[in-house]
Amino acid sequence: MYAEDPAFWRAGAISTTLVMLIVLAFLTVDSIATIRPGGANVPDYTVINKEIRYEFDSESNRYRPVIGADQPLFGRVYSAEQAEQAMRLGKLVIQSRNCMNCHTFFGNGAYYAPDLTKAWLDPAWQQMWMPMTQAATREEAIAIFLMHPEKFPTWSRQMPNLKITREEAEALVAYLKWMSAVETNGFPIHFGHIQTNK
Amino acid sequence: MTAVQMLGTSLLLALFVLLAGCYGVLYCLARLRASRRIGRAAAAAYALQGLTAGLLAFSPLDFWWKALLLASFVAYLPIPPLTWRLLENLHEPEEQHS
Amino acid sequence: MFRSQHLALKYFAAAMTLFGIMIVAGLLASTQYVQDGFLLNILDFSVTKMLHIDTMIISLLMGFIGAVYWFVPIELERETVGIRLAEVMFWIFCAAVAVVAAVFIFVQYGPATEMSLWFINQGRKYVEAPRWAAIGITLVVLVFIYNVVGTAIKTKKVTGIMGVLMVDLIPLFGLYLIAFPSITNMSEDQYWWWWLVHLWVEATWEILIGCIMALALMQLLGTSRRIVETWLYIEVALVLGTGILGLGHHYFWIGTPSYWLGIGGFFSALEPLPLLGMVVHAIYDAGAHRMKTTNKPAFFWVMAEAFGNFIGGGVFGFMMTLPQINLFTHGTQWTVSHGHFAFWGAYSCGVLAVIYLALQKSRAAQQLDGAAWKWSFALLNIGMLGMVGALLVSGISQAFYERAMGGSTLQAFIEGQTNVWFVQGIVMRLVFGFVFAAGYVVLIYDLLTIGKKRTAAEGLQARVAGGPA
Repeated sequence: MYAEDPAFWRAGAISTTLVMLIVLAFLTVDSIATIRPGGANVPDYTVINKEIRYEFDSESNRYRPVIGADQPLFGRVYSAEQAEQAMRLGKLVIQSRNCMNCHTFFGNGAYYAPDLTKAWLDPAWQQMWMPMTQAATREEAIAIFLMHPEKFPTWSRQMPNLKITREEAEALVAYLKWMSAVETNGFPIHFGHIQTNK
Repeated sequence: MTAVQMLGTSLLLALFVLLAGCYGVLYCLARLRASRRIGRAAAAAYALQGLTAGLLAFSPLDFWWKALLLASFVAYLPIPPLTWRLLENLHEPEEQHS
Repeated sequence: MFRSQHLALKYFAAAMTLFGIMIVAGLLASTQYVQDGFLLNILDFSVTKMLHIDTMIISLLMGFIGAVYWFVPIELERETVGIRLAEVMFWIFCAAVAVVAAVFIFVQYGPATEMSLWFINQGRKYVEAPRWAAIGITLVVLVFIYNVVGTAIKTKKVTGIMGVLMVDLIPLFGLYLIAFPSITNMSEDQYWWWWLVHLWVEATWEILIGCIMALALMQLLGTSRRIVETWLYIEVALVLGTGILGLGHHYFWIGTPSYWLGIGGFFSALEPLPLLGMVVHAIYDAGAHRMKTTNKPAFFWVMAEAFGNFIGGGVFGFMMTLPQINLFTHGTQWTVSHGHFAFWGAYSCGVLAVIYLALQKSRAAQQLDGAAWKWSFALLNIGMLGMVGALLVSGISQAFYERAMGGSTLQAFIEGQTNVWFVQGIVMRLVFGFVFAAGYVVLIYDLLTIGKKRTAAEGLQARVAGGPA
């Protein structure tokens, strides 16, 4: 009986695997094009010069990032090259300081500290940290916090001081701003809005 | 989806697969012990899995996910008996020789 | 015993040592959840957690490598080719792991430069090891592949199981190369990172443990080659048939196109089906042999593997995989609950079964049984179930309060973390972590002693057979 013949199942295993791999290859080509900076879902790095919002879109029935008017970062308008350099440095900060083992990015990482996908849009910067740090802008407050988190705690679980320099802090802020503009299919759900009906 | 709907739906989904597991385990025990009673318990587990699928029809999941749940409910049915039969057929020639 | 099998025992010892370090790191990290400020600025959570997950990965890898070194000479009926080189690589591997761990603990981080990635920490989960060590691991795996393939070539023999194993080692190795690049774009970084993580633990590792279990079952239950081979091919078809595109369940929220919600959710939802087949198979084997076996602990750990895999991976995974649910559960303790249970069931139980099998042979014990293994089996499994249950409570509360209601801001995060249900879960997790740790202690005692005491009859039999008394 064919079902008792290992060769039958071997053929099944090989063909199934090949079909799945071919489909994955095609989907990867399409996905990579979509997630490239400037692609459909991921904005160009120069989006850090713009205002970013996260609003409900009734057509797609989910929250989506909205790119608005000009909004310089640290009082500067970054050229394409400067933006790319800032992103590169920002990502190196994230990796060298092992941020992913306390925080999450797009929900991936560790769960000891908040998710940073939309951290740029967190109301806490205006409500808590700008007063605490006496910073004039949101990005300044974030940078000051990153360089000395031990001076500006907001609850009993503290972020350690990771010796982040001024240059690194600014790059990291730019990175977080860019990341908040990525289209994540609605994650995190209704960020910044409290749902009262259980 | 509200918080409570999320909670209810996810727990029903867990129950769905858990009952599939119960059905499989009870089916196997029924075959091993040639017990009609355990066989009926297996059928009851499968029926409960169907009930869970029915409850999930009222969840806020999109239509196609509900369709997938129904299809997988149907797909779970033959897995234990087919697997058991395959294993018996595979072992049979060995037993004949031993 | 072949030299390859002596090497296997060394790998098992190293794996079990790392398992212990994993537990210590886990207890420290768990305490940091319960006690604010515990080891802050000395050994931060990011370090304890990193040690916990990395020792788990390396421990399992060493367990797999050891298992293959154990079975290859039996399967191919000759000493493993290149065994001396393999022996050297083992010590290099251990030394590299020790240096990496020391740097993680004492240096911890560096400036935002490529040098930090080369020598201190790469900062990508599970593959934080600095590039120099990643090169080392690559070399170890290459030598391992040379050992396996070289032996098959020398004997001109490729059994079905060895064929699957060797083909599986190619993507296993290739995927690891994703540990090297530092990609600026977080979406693209995570796209490829998930190829490594998912296609390791939900594809190539599943095949690898399937091969190892096939080899183990032939020894443990005397199952025929034809049966285990047929079953292995079915497993490969089902695991890869659902798992390759099941990769999509990691592509819901990272910036990738929305068709992944459908594709990933669909294939992910199918993943429990083959796992049910494995449970049926496990019960069939147990029943067919009326639970009689000369190696009780190995047998029970194999059973634990089938059930743990189904419940931890299948039930818990299914609970959170549909995108509409995952939107709330993603990146919460719910994931942690599933992760602990799935890794335990899918891999750790299997590795323990193989170790007991190897010990039976290496100590030439006719029967492997006793009291200690039962205690460790109970403590480890109860400890694990307790941790998983506790984390589920915390995770559900977090998804409910932080995500569904709170809007996922910092404030919502804090409210979620300080919620009474969350806190209770996180405390109970630590309690059961200690239960698990106690199980580990008994396990080590058992692994060091089981099968060493002989009855007079066994001693006589062994002498007659020409072995040591």
